[in-house]
Amino acid sequence: MTDEKKPEERKPRKHATEAAGKIGPMVKAALKENLQAKEEGKPIAYSFIFSGYDEIIRAMDIVPAWTENYAGILGVKRDAQRFLEKAESENFSRSLCTYALCGLGFDSWREELGEMPPDPPWGGQARPTVMLGSGQIICDPRYKWYQAVQHYMPDVPVYVGGLPYPPYEDDYDYRDVQDYYVKYIVEETRGLVEFLEKHTNRKMDWDRLSEVVDISDRTWNMISEAYDLRRAVPCPMGTGDAMNTMVPMTFMMGTQEAYDFFKDLYDELQLKIANKEGVIPDEKYRLLWGGGLPSWFALTDFNYFNSKGAVFPAEVTYRLVEPVYKLDLPKVSDPLEHLAWRWVKYWAYRHDKARKRPGSNPDVERLIEYIEEYKIDGVVMHEAFSCRSWHPGLIWQLNQLKRVYRDIPSLILESDIVDISSYNEADTKARIDAFIDTLEAVKSR
Amino acid sequence: MKSQYFAGVDIGSTMTKVVIMSEATLASVIGPTGPEHRKLANRVMEEALAKAKLAFEDITYVVATGYGRVNVPFADKQITEISCHARGVAHLLPEVRTVIDIGGQDSKGIKLKAGRAVDFVMNDKCAAGTGRFLEVTAEELGVSLEDMGRLSLEAENRVEISSTCTVFAANEVVAKLSDGVALPDILAGLHEAIATRIYGMVRRLKIEREVAITGGGAKNIGLVKALEAKLGFPVLVPPEPLLTGAIGAALLGGDIVREAAEKGETLVRSERRLTEASIFT
Repeated sequence: MTDEKKPEERKPRKHATEAAGKIGPMVKAALKENLQAKEEGKPIAYSFIFSGYDEIIRAMDIVPAWTENYAGILGVKRDAQRFLEKAESENFSRSLCTYALCGLGFDSWREELGEMPPDPPWGGQARPTVMLGSGQIICDPRYKWYQAVQHYMPDVPVYVGGLPYPPYEDDYDYRDVQDYYVKYIVEETRGLVEFLEKHTNRKMDWDRLSEVVDISDRTWNMISEAYDLRRAVPCPMGTGDAMNTMVPMTFMMGTQEAYDFFKDLYDELQLKIANKEGVIPDEKYRLLWGGGLPSWFALTDFNYFNSKGAVFPAEVTYRLVEPVYKLDLPKVSDPLEHLAWRWVKYWAYRHDKARKRPGSNPDVERLIEYIEEYKIDGVVMHEAFSCRSWHPGLIWQLNQLKRVYRDIPSLILESDIVDISSYNEADTKARIDAFIDTLEAVKSR
Repeated sequence: MKSQYFAGVDIGSTMTKVVIMSEATLASVIGPTGPEHRKLANRVMEEALAKAKLAFEDITYVVATGYGRVNVPFADKQITEISCHARGVAHLLPEVRTVIDIGGQDSKGIKLKAGRAVDFVMNDKCAAGTGRFLEVTAEELGVSLEDMGRLSLEAENRVEISSTCTVFAANEVVAKLSDGVALPDILAGLHEAIATRIYGMVRRLKIEREVAITGGGAKNIGLVKALEAKLGFPVLVPPEPLLTGAIGAALLGGDIVREAAEKGETLVRSERRLTEASIFT
């Protein structure tokens, strides 16, 4: 029976920074806040990270519940299987996004019982007031997941949105079309505000939204400045920790707490650099996590890399900001319009660079930029079998990187985000060992 | 000056290989790995020592490789099979730039530059594309592994095996046999299926000539021919394709000893006692 399975006990991953060590309690507190909000009758919104809705939700004092991330927690706790199996028993295929499957398994089970499934990690996920779908072009489960959840919660309304951005092509300038995108996004987010006002009995305070947008702009800058410090040799913080510090970036954007967290991280990294304190004492290889969500149940693999003398000063995954002052944003008074411009300019940030290098694209340019700025020796990517939207393009990016830039050593790890049945620790370590050998061979050439 | 001897121990999923080298190969032994393979590593080593007319104390350095490498208690160092295959092939066939190793449990592609591995791909997720695929289907068809490849070349109308799962492919070939399809036509289909999967994986590397095939799969002429058809050119096969990893391990042992001597460093060596891995005791 699915409900009889107990998660495998795991020791917590060792962190390099104090900041990363604060994340577990922060996530627990966020989940507790959800449950508390439910008891107090506050509106709760099922939401996707990096949807572009964060500031609106915060300004309206609606409590976000990050459903992808609850699935990630189930993965970290190695307790996802029973929820995946529950979703399968509801006839959802295992080849769908396993975040969505976990969520569907959890929600269908909670609705069936009329209470939380047995022993839900960290108290479980509260029943929402509304669900805010957001596909942002690349990810179809972020449109369809909540619509599917509505089978089990037909009384919970869904807003199916998604903020588009100009796709990259080398034969046009995105500036020719950017105004259309901004106009569309403003209308879409205005529709979201109307939807939320209708279904949550909250009124948008536009001055408050402007304040929240200002805090999130400053947070974008602070994150960029803190992460830029990881260029130092030895590197003071690796991707293993960044998979923790993504939490305030994605769960808490638009809050003072998020800004303060990254200011503290900035100060901590400055101190480590001054003391020449790295993730590992003898740094031999500097690696880029070039893409792919991590296997949440196997974050200790980053420590295994560390044990071989390898650190990850940079990652593409969950680096979801650029310095706002570099985005060349027009001055506008409407906070929704500002958010729309920031969104479009973020996604178009490397279009111009890519157009100067035949065969490249903005994602490849980002890899090249990080390789050069962070003195990278090799690239590691993770191909998660259940992600059909982002992960299949990673191999192409890697091939193009080697074609238009240079033949840098690379490693593809294969597994999943939460489905542990796709993972083999011994094989993963064998691949890492072999990759370290190739790095050594290339370095000694 | 006293002669130096180097041993390479390659513990694969199905076969254990030991090579003892000095200037040239003095002895090599290939034995089945079996379910308690770690217990057998010392026996295969004893056999190799007897063939080389050496005592274990005579061996200057021992390198273990293969997926069971961590459980060779008498090894001085463990090195990944990627590095050992690269070193072994570069020694045996210096013109090779791409290695396709088809083992019992996994298959790999390795890119070589200056005799060292600089890139690789591995299939360790799925039995289709490994020797295990052929083992399972051989058993279902009642054909010996040794005869499979040769018989497949007698095909007149190769059939398509559509199942990518090893277990279902075995069922599919039995069904085809029941339908009266000639055995060579089925075998040719099986070899085509495995070659397609291996080629699909290795293409992630930029394949450069010359290409060598190693591992147990290289002993199957049907598979070698099917891969040559995919590649569009002939491949090279070492004289004993099962031994490249062990040869590479022994050669890397020699490299380590030479490098240490040049630097004036003293190497840490295991006790010269052939013991079983304690994991089973």
